[in-house]
Amino acid sequence: MDDRYFLHTFANGLTLLGEKMPAVQSAAMTLLLPAGSATDPAKRSGSAAVLSDLVLRGAGSRDSRQLTDYLDSLGLQRSSSVGVHHTRFGCAAVADRVVESLATYADIVRRPHLPQTGFDAARDLSLQGLEGLEDDPRQKLLVKLREWFLPSPLGNNPMGKVGDLKKLTLEFSKEDWKDRYHAGGAILALAGNIEFKKILDEAAKYFGDLPGMAEKPLELTPPPGPYHHERQKSEQTHIGIAYPSVPETDPDYYLVRAAMEVFGGGMSGRLFTEVREKRALCYSVWAGYTSMKSSGAILSYAGSSNDRAQATLDCIIGEIHRLAKGITQAELDRAKIGLKAGTIMQGESTSARCGTIAHDYFMRGRIRTLDEIKKEIDQLTVDQVNKYLASHPPGPFTIVTVGPKKLRV
Amino acid sequence: MTNDMTFHHTRLSNGLQIIAESNPDAHSFAAGLYVNTGSRDEAPEINGVSHFLEHMMFKGSSKYTWEDVNRIFDEMGANYNAYTSQENTAYFANVLPEFTERTIEHLSFLLRPAIRQEDFDTEKKVILEEIAMYLDDPGHRVYEALMETHFAGHPLGRSVLGSAEAISALKRDQMAEYFRRRYGPGNAILAAAGKLDFDQIVKIAKKYCGDWEPAEAGRQQREIKYEARSKGIVDVKLKRHYTMAMTPGPSAQDDRRFAARVLADVIGDEEGSRFYWALVDNAIADDADFGFYPHDGSGSFYMSISCDPKRAKKALKIARAELERVKTDLTEAEVERAKNKIASGIVLEGEVPMGRLRAIAGQWLYNKNYRSLEQDMQTLLAIDADALRRLMRDFPFDPMTIVSLGPK
Repeated sequence: MDDRYFLHTFANGLTLLGEKMPAVQSAAMTLLLPAGSATDPAKRSGSAAVLSDLVLRGAGSRDSRQLTDYLDSLGLQRSSSVGVHHTRFGCAAVADRVVESLATYADIVRRPHLPQTGFDAARDLSLQGLEGLEDDPRQKLLVKLREWFLPSPLGNNPMGKVGDLKKLTLEFSKEDWKDRYHAGGAILALAGNIEFKKILDEAAKYFGDLPGMAEKPLELTPPPGPYHHERQKSEQTHIGIAYPSVPETDPDYYLVRAAMEVFGGGMSGRLFTEVREKRALCYSVWAGYTSMKSSGAILSYAGSSNDRAQATLDCIIGEIHRLAKGITQAELDRAKIGLKAGTIMQGESTSARCGTIAHDYFMRGRIRTLDEIKKEIDQLTVDQVNKYLASHPPGPFTIVTVGPKKLRV
Repeated sequence: MTNDMTFHHTRLSNGLQIIAESNPDAHSFAAGLYVNTGSRDEAPEINGVSHFLEHMMFKGSSKYTWEDVNRIFDEMGANYNAYTSQENTAYFANVLPEFTERTIEHLSFLLRPAIRQEDFDTEKKVILEEIAMYLDDPGHRVYEALMETHFAGHPLGRSVLGSAEAISALKRDQMAEYFRRRYGPGNAILAAAGKLDFDQIVKIAKKYCGDWEPAEAGRQQREIKYEARSKGIVDVKLKRHYTMAMTPGPSAQDDRRFAARVLADVIGDEEGSRFYWALVDNAIADDADFGFYPHDGSGSFYMSISCDPKRAKKALKIARAELERVKTDLTEAEVERAKNKIASGIVLEGEVPMGRLRAIAGQWLYNKNYRSLEQDMQTLLAIDADALRRLMRDFPFDPMTIVSLGPK
């Protein structure tokens, strides 16, 4: 690997990743812990999300307010979230401030206070978030699409279920913290104006002896079915379509990315051209590739006025089938430029880069260099893409709609 | 590094202003055409035309069809978009430096649209879908109602999207006439940032924009009558209660705008602010923001709260009490924390060409001058609690317009 990148796995299972970026003052940090919604304990969905809020309410020598004030005084732009596989904490600022914050993030992970009042508020906020989803049919559609397409627990809403959240207790959250905030499979990534030796020393000091446990395999239950409709009084009918694709580690991965760039990329992509530009059926319409640890999927969304939603759904399904018949050289040329330019321009942002190297490592066990990605894209040919499309007909489809009336599928 | 950034500007004989900040360390190039026009410059009967026209720009010119427009951007791998606000409309793209000329050429044709009747009729349906989409978004509904109520009859209160009725009734020729009046070169800025050669940019701009016909534009500034107004909207299908409020603040030309940004973060940043501790930390509301929204010649502070309908009154009362309390017990430490967060934001934004493009174009649109990243940073660092206290004496969060939307 070239000297722009750095990778070190500690004995406890934590992997430290670094990317040095010339000409920036900033750095960004991403910490992934093995506490995703997929490993929320049975009947306790939403537990990781509550915990990700709770651990920020006081840690180490600082109470909740002191902790927040301290991180603010470093000028950190912070974020935290819970995805399928991980709880993620991230920050970005002038580089030395980000490195300085590692000690405090270690407090958050290892020495959180987990107070009762904080627990009550964190759980209440999760319940409010779920209720807010009812007012946001677009967001609700995406949550429901994952639930109906992916096997449980992969498709579970990270926000949890109302019934489960109501049963959650502080004692339970404390147990959950002990079980899932560990180093096994954890990833700490930094990108920007960093020194590898310095971040290695700091990571070793603060996380090197964090206990690590083996990850438990997931038991998957097949999803409920091919079509689901959520009745809602709304101006538009919101439509989601999903079907399986290859995982990121598959040799065909770049072929899929190129095909999807032709289909859903840019404003000259087929989906935008046919659904919006020619037929004016939607304002918002998109499709793209997404991945879990060992599987991939194509997701598509559109929102149309209720009386035009059927035409929109039919048009998108028609276009997905037409894609299987192949793409042209000109389409592939545009797709290649789009994929490459996106990679290079993303290379200017420290936050984007540290998110990407962490993702790469989780998916592949290594970092892909920017040059490697460019090379993979350059090598693609129309014949390869078309052969892939012909031998992998799309489907089976899972369709979810949110709106006043069911659609014909 | 940022120290190597240099600024250049010139004006073509037809009035088009060109501004650029070059950064030899950048890997990409960003350019945009910024036009000083938006929904506040529309007559009521053509409300929504600025935004609809922005869509029509992507439908082609005398040289290109709509398919060409999208294809050419995608052939460059451009990251491109456009937006319309109450007072400006912008078209911009981020590309690799090798596409500098093609990008400016393409943007120049983009802004000389054919406005073909057939495309107009098709795109009208897309606009109506966009309006429908926002009707499913309670946050947007309450925002539109707030602007309308707060600016009561002033053009700033007009909807950017327009209503479905107004858009349905809009004629192609009304749009063409608005375009002729508002899109003259004197009312536009070509801005660029990142890896670039200014002389080359000027040459390209002359080639493609040099023949743009001058037109009178300008903006009528009308006095805004502020008074305490309130409005409640009931929609029984909603589960949550949404409150927004607005009160006068400094304008986009006012030197106090920097302090206003710090004050807004002290009061209502997502984390660690007064609203956070008073409303979100204890889960009275799941969202409570306070922000600063500068306009041309006027300005606003706004707040936004979403909560359980049962807690709506309590939440608003707490928020208003915080706005009073901050006038008397503001500390230097909380001002410092807010400044540090904003400073990080300035550094991070400065590292990507799109970030600098936004910054220099915004500054030029409103103030016709340039501010470097270092100047912004120095101004920010010089702000102290006293500056914020003076600001709150000048803009005491009164009168305040309050609009709410909820199930009862």
